Amino acid sequence: MSSTSTHAEVTAADTAGRWPVLLLLASGLGWLVISGIFALIASIQLHSPTFMSACEWFTHGRVGALAETAFVYGWAANAGLGIALWVLGRLGGSTLRAQNWAMVGTLFWNLGMTLGLGGIATGEATSFAFLELPRYVQPLLVVAYIAIGISGILAWSGRRTEGTYASHWYAVAALFLFPWLLIAAQTMLLWSPVRGVLQPIIDGWYVQSVFSLWLAPLALAGAYYVVPKITGQGLPSYEFAPLAFWTLLFVGTMTGGRHLIGGPVPAWIPTLANAACWMVLFHFIVVALNLRGALTGGGTSLAFISFGLLAYLAGALLDAATSFRGVAVVTQFTYFTTAQQQLALYGGISMLLLGSIYFAVPRLTGRPWTSGAFVRGHRVLAMVGISILVGSLAVAGWIQGTELSNAKTTFGEIAARTRPWLLAVSVAQGFLLVGNMLILANFLRSVSGVWCAGAVSQVEAFRQPTTMEVHAS
Amino acid sequence: MMKNGFFFFIGLLAAFLLGWGGIPLLAHKQIGALAPFYDDGESSSFPTRPPGVAARGQLVYADLGCVACHTQQVRRPDFGSDKARGWGDRQSVARDYIFQGRPQLGDVRIGPDLANWGVRKPPVDAGGIAQFLYSGVVSGAKAVTHPPFPFLFDDRPIVGEVAADALVALVDKTPRRQIVPTERARTLIAYLQSLNNAYEYPEARHVVPVVAKEGAHK
Repeated sequence: MSSTSTHAEVTAADTAGRWPVLLLLASGLGWLVISGIFALIASIQLHSPTFMSACEWFTHGRVGALAETAFVYGWAANAGLGIALWVLGRLGGSTLRAQNWAMVGTLFWNLGMTLGLGGIATGEATSFAFLELPRYVQPLLVVAYIAIGISGILAWSGRRTEGTYASHWYAVAALFLFPWLLIAAQTMLLWSPVRGVLQPIIDGWYVQSVFSLWLAPLALAGAYYVVPKITGQGLPSYEFAPLAFWTLLFVGTMTGGRHLIGGPVPAWIPTLANAACWMVLFHFIVVALNLRGALTGGGTSLAFISFGLLAYLAGALLDAATSFRGVAVVTQFTYFTTAQQQLALYGGISMLLLGSIYFAVPRLTGRPWTSGAFVRGHRVLAMVGISILVGSLAVAGWIQGTELSNAKTTFGEIAARTRPWLLAVSVAQGFLLVGNMLILANFLRSVSGVWCAGAVSQVEAFRQPTTMEVHAS
Repeated sequence: MMKNGFFFFIGLLAAFLLGWGGIPLLAHKQIGALAPFYDDGESSSFPTRPPGVAARGQLVYADLGCVACHTQQVRRPDFGSDKARGWGDRQSVARDYIFQGRPQLGDVRIGPDLANWGVRKPPVDAGGIAQFLYSGVVSGAKAVTHPPFPFLFDDRPIVGEVAADALVALVDKTPRRQIVPTERARTLIAYLQSLNNAYEYPEARHVVPVVAKEGAHK
């Protein structure tokens, strides 16, 4: 191999623009561990209701809100933004601009998160799903997000090639759309609240939009970039990718009403969601076709991305199946809904992001992951953990749903029958927490090496693009 | 479109506007101005505004995150077991919530639905609810089925007479001390007792679909 491939593998975008990206990824992984601790507490409370309930900060409702908020706005947002900036910087062909903006924005975003989580613990939560952060930190989040996003938008607008790639579309869409969403939702729900059931309707729209217009595009931006880089092949069926992109953006947000089936809302909202759930499958199928090379490739990154891709697809199919009234009458209001959400967020978004992180970090630091054992441990724990988590929640939810429809079964009996599966959920949360601690520790060790020793590349690791994978797994 | 930055951004903005206009704004146009229903027979309008103490109690309900386990929405009688479980005789409708500051519809039923908890059968008085919130044990049962919330209560010495709302069952067990609901507990209990959507609006009546028999006139 010549040295040119070395230069192509670690670009200027990596070495000169690494600190904003590494700061975002570090924050994300830190919040992932914190979110895991809250999720573990919340899952224990499901089978042992007295656990920490005497402490007002940790009622089940508040811990659940803390876990969800730390996961979405701490982990997924930071990690997704980090990957989006890295991908846009690389595709742009020059050093990331406005890096100071991104750094300062990240610091303020995480300051807002810390204040907001403290607020939730002390009883300031808004009780809106995905929008639990107290009103007083919301404007700060908007400003901080725009500061981070500027860097990515500049990398897009100043790119050296005229053409664009799927990663461009998804990353720019996520960067551009989220502030609109957040401003619209907080205006209508927190600053000038609408009346009555419009609040849950708008919250349902917001939750779905966060997934379809923000988290999924962030995760896909990374996956679309990493998969062909590793397989070394063009994407099959790529000609459908633009239509799949617009399908997600235009139809995806309409699917949020599926949670309101049978509820006190206009009936067209869940009906529209039912139709939209099936239409948006086009997007998921095309993404699976485009990225199917990941399924047959080897290495850590592709293993995470394959798992994420299958979970992303399975989540959409389950959403479509449960958007029918006949199915929802059982699954609605049960752990089954929680299972679907965990499948999409943890199995889909998280695993796709982790796959991109495993690919990006060695290139950002210029050296392989410090510990191969930690990488392998995380890989096993994450995959086993998510499988048990989603599977147990789904079984518990199905039992709960069928028992709920029998009016003679008491809640005590339902709790007793779902208890074994809820214990398995706690075990799964434990696996995931340990796994996430492994990647955080590994990440910090890898980055501290660069911090202390400076940017001395271990060049031989980059002779072949797949070498990093071998080192790591 | 993918290459031209301007049109790409127009497309993104259109996607946001379609979603936002298509659901939040359209729904707002449809039910944003929903008015109370005036009943000539009873010479009053429904729903009634909750008393101030109950509105404050809803804030306590929200900040403790009760919505994580309890819904407040009854489904129609032939859709699920909601009616059979005694949660309400009719389905909840949008009009039920127009005076609620922050409706707590919820989407998980780890515990029962509470939409009509103020008029449930058999009724439980404020003292019973307080006892339940303190201990997590339903009266008559032994096992803890609900997380106990002792932080909603003051454990304080009896000075003079026992407070009127002190938890009766515990007065004898702990001599010279009493467990008294705090202000937050009192508002939360008032809120729970105010939950009542019994009034039947025209739009809430259950319509049983008539299936035409074979050979019948249409």
